[in-house]
Amino acid sequence: MSRLNNAGLIYMLLLLITSFINCNFDSLKSKPKLHVIEIKQMQFQPALLKVRSGDTVMWVNHDFVAHDVTEQAHKTWNSSPLAPGASWRMVADADAYYYCSIHQVMKGKLEVDKK
Amino acid sequence: MKKFKPLNVVVLVIAVSFLAPANLFAQQSPKLTDPEIASVAVTANQIDIDNAALVKEKSKNQDVLKFAETMTNDHKAVIDQAVALVKKLNVTPKDNALSKKMQSDAENTRKTLGTKSGKEFDKAYIDNEVVYHKAVIDAVQNVLIPQAQNSELKQLLQNIMPALKTHLEHAQMVQKTLSAQ
Repeated sequence: MSRLNNAGLIYMLLLLITSFINCNFDSLKSKPKLHVIEIKQMQFQPALLKVRSGDTVMWVNHDFVAHDVTEQAHKTWNSSPLAPGASWRMVADADAYYYCSIHQVMKGKLEVDKK
Repeated sequence: MKKFKPLNVVVLVIAVSFLAPANLFAQQSPKLTDPEIASVAVTANQIDIDNAALVKEKSKNQDVLKFAETMTNDHKAVIDQAVALVKKLNVTPKDNALSKKMQSDAENTRKTLGTKSGKEFDKAYIDNEVVYHKAVIDAVQNVLIPQAQNSELKQLLQNIMPALKTHLEHAQMVQKTLSAQ
């Protein structure tokens, strides 16, 4: 009886440990990350950023002039003008070419992995 | 500190002057002091703000109007930085042969552009912005930065270079759009 109880206890412990490990791996795998794109010297740095769907991307304006961040093809999203020192963030869910509508030659790209 | 009077003019002749900045400086101001460099920098920015003011009066083209709005805001930001720096350094910008010539050229240019309207005005304004920014970039890079003695003034001039280059690219983009219309 005692041996059966011990076996059951060990089984339960193993089950708990396995669940704990799986749970942690799952959270590591899917936990959204924060990515920062710096706007400085009239450029988006990095100009190309690869992220996972659900990650947050934050743009920070380090220049002395205002900038904005605008999706290029259909203007589906955009920040308001970002004063020097200001930042703006959004959750990435699709690939996008974007630009600064104030300085239209400033361009960047987000590549979103949806897996 | 000395205040710079709004010129309310558009520049074509100044662009021609800047086409050979080294010669111009050699003829008129072989050695600029820091107060003179500050004066030239503020004057150059003020001239482009005044260019933009004329656009608001005369143009209906959205690309040109938006470009002009950017020039107004960005060049005001540069002037704000320059004013803050000269205050900090307790320096008074000093008029000189070059800044005076820039102002007189700007007045002549206003007369030229004032006779134009519609697409002809838009084209003349943008063509001037392309030439003007090329010339200013050349002058800041090859004359003002090398001659600046104060390290903070030199740094400020270096900091504005990316904005000037972006303005040039933007002006060239609008120029291309206008020529296709």
